[in-house]
Amino acid sequence: MKRMIFAAAILSLTATPTLAQGKYSADSQAKSWNLLGEEKARFEGVAIDALCVLTGDCPADCGAGLRQMGILRNDDGAFLLANKNTQPAFTGATVDLAPYCGQAVEIDGLLVGDKDVTPGLGDGRLLQIQTVRLLGEEKPKKANLWTKDWAKRNPDVGGKGPWFRRDPKVTAEIEANGRLGLGAEADQKFIEENF
Amino acid sequence: MFRKMAFGAGLALAALIAGPAAAQGERVQVTGEMIDTWCYFSGVMGGPDAVVGSAHHTCALWCAAGGIPVGMLTDDGTVYMVVKWEGSADVADGETLLSVQSHRLVADGIAYERDGINYLVVEKVVADEGIVNLSHEDFGVTPPFSFPDPNK
Repeated sequence: MKRMIFAAAILSLTATPTLAQGKYSADSQAKSWNLLGEEKARFEGVAIDALCVLTGDCPADCGAGLRQMGILRNDDGAFLLANKNTQPAFTGATVDLAPYCGQAVEIDGLLVGDKDVTPGLGDGRLLQIQTVRLLGEEKPKKANLWTKDWAKRNPDVGGKGPWFRRDPKVTAEIEANGRLGLGAEADQKFIEENF
Repeated sequence: MFRKMAFGAGLALAALIAGPAAAQGERVQVTGEMIDTWCYFSGVMGGPDAVVGSAHHTCALWCAAGGIPVGMLTDDGTVYMVVKWEGSADVADGETLLSVQSHRLVADGIAYERDGINYLVVEKVVADEGIVNLSHEDFGVTPPFSFPDPNK
């Protein structure tokens, strides 16, 4: 029953595509992900970390992928927080943007969010980055570096399957507090009731 | 290579910051739940009530470990993107925020608003109630594959 509720929730969200055309959509080659308030967007700006924009604390490397990052759009000076890269694997975009810290780039991706469904976002929208092109270069690069970077940082992690099922930090957290975060007893009860 | 590029960007950054003014921060104490902002705002895993709390905890760990911004959903419905955590700016390191994902917290810090998005520099966690949103009782787990069938 609970899984049916989940499936219904997914269907209700995807059955009514909300793909909108916006000011920056015309030249976009971004692919749809059928997300809330989704709007294709291609624009130029500067890659920069969020703390720098907000507080003036600006390391020369934007935190080398460890700080949250975004794009300061040339057209209007708006800062768009990069929430996601193009990998369908629970991966953010900081690793993809950090090499371009302080440089002018062209971004292609999706603006995401619908304040009528999730009003906590305010009037802004989040940015999913699908490609990044350094201005002056011809070809854009896919924003898909996160998993390769994870593999480099975790050379000794064995096993098969996606990174998130093998990540040592995630594994340790689940071992300590369970998949529900409520301890082993709660997990066991959930198993008995649902499997 | 990266360090050379980064060094070269230093002056550009300085000029950049001299242009757009930094946002004005406001000292706040906020209470709310630490959430996975991608699933919450994108709808990719279901409606907003299904992607918070215990139902979504494992997925929230995955997203935090993957460097996706962690947010704080406060009691008035506002979501703050956490950009600094008790002195550490490395909130996308896949580790700093793992242990508080899905927890209900009280935090002191500085709030910023920039272009319609709310941000939070957390200076100190005042209280940590742990996970109190037992959303799995209503929604199971989201997504279902975040709790593998132990019989398979």
